[in-house]
Amino acid sequence: VLPVRWTRYNPYYLEPEPSREVYRIPVTELTDEQKAAQELKAVRPIKATPSGLTSSVFSDPTVSKFVNMMMEDGDKVLARSIITQTFESMKRKQVEKYHKAPATEKEGIECNPYTIFHQALENCKPIIGLISIQKGGKYYQVPTPLTDSRRRFLAMKWLITECRDNKHRRTHMYEKLSQELLAAFMNEGNVIKRKHDMHKMAEANRAFAHYRWW
Amino acid sequence: MATKGSGLQAKVSRMLSKDFGKPILKPNKPLALRNEVANRKLRQGEASCLTEMSVMMACWKQSEFNHAACTQEVQAFQRCTALAQAERKARMGQESSGQGGRLHPKQANTLLKRHPNLYREI
Repeated sequence: VLPVRWTRYNPYYLEPEPSREVYRIPVTELTDEQKAAQELKAVRPIKATPSGLTSSVFSDPTVSKFVNMMMEDGDKVLARSIITQTFESMKRKQVEKYHKAPATEKEGIECNPYTIFHQALENCKPIIGLISIQKGGKYYQVPTPLTDSRRRFLAMKWLITECRDNKHRRTHMYEKLSQELLAAFMNEGNVIKRKHDMHKMAEANRAFAHYRWW
Repeated sequence: MATKGSGLQAKVSRMLSKDFGKPILKPNKPLALRNEVANRKLRQGEASCLTEMSVMMACWKQSEFNHAACTQEVQAFQRCTALAQAERKARMGQESSGQGGRLHPKQANTLLKRHPNLYREI
């Protein structure tokens, strides 16, 4: 079934399982839930895998989500190439720093672009969010806890919009992204500032926290 | 029982008619039960995790938003939110199944739509 706008799988269909570790477990060591899941798979139909889902060791669900968010007009090839170029440029910068640093500081420098990406994303995630609630004819910004998916979405969205809008127009996207990610890894930069602004607004509006009803 | 009902109808029609002086009742809606039930509003909940939030914000104010210094409070807040969300999910699942012996307004409405009260001649 192709993902056309108004189509939907019957809830009867099961999700595909991409990880190989699940299939390598010998039959004797399966727990009851896993056994039930295996038996269910023999009877129920399974959804078609989306093209972004792989069982390779190099696939990362967070990176895939970031690629999807950066994609425009369905051009996944371009978005994916930008991300790979970003990682390459980040690695080059870090390795250059590593070779120039004295022996004492060499261990402190992180060269793996994937760990830098994950750490930078973690540093950009806001802990508390603001929601517009109407009370007595006026709209108030009420501080509220956020779900993990919402926090991840906000961090990625801020990174992308900041790179698209607030940088010099003649730099490439991968260059802008690598600068922003390295800054976020060091807890500096505009995205971190935006996160702090959000927290400060929430702290200023903490009196309205009672307007929430959930 | 049948005699009781007919007596009531006679009284009501007497109160509505203009033959005996001014009519006592002037209803703007038909004097019959509607084929739907009012939607009962969910009981008002309060905001969850307020204490944790205020503790975390006090810590932030003290350390001027230095997040490294407030990890304990932040973790407590996140634990609280996870618990609150799980609770909310459990409550939603439980509500759709049974309403303490009574029928949910939505279910009552579907049943009444299938078997409506006929108060007009069709």
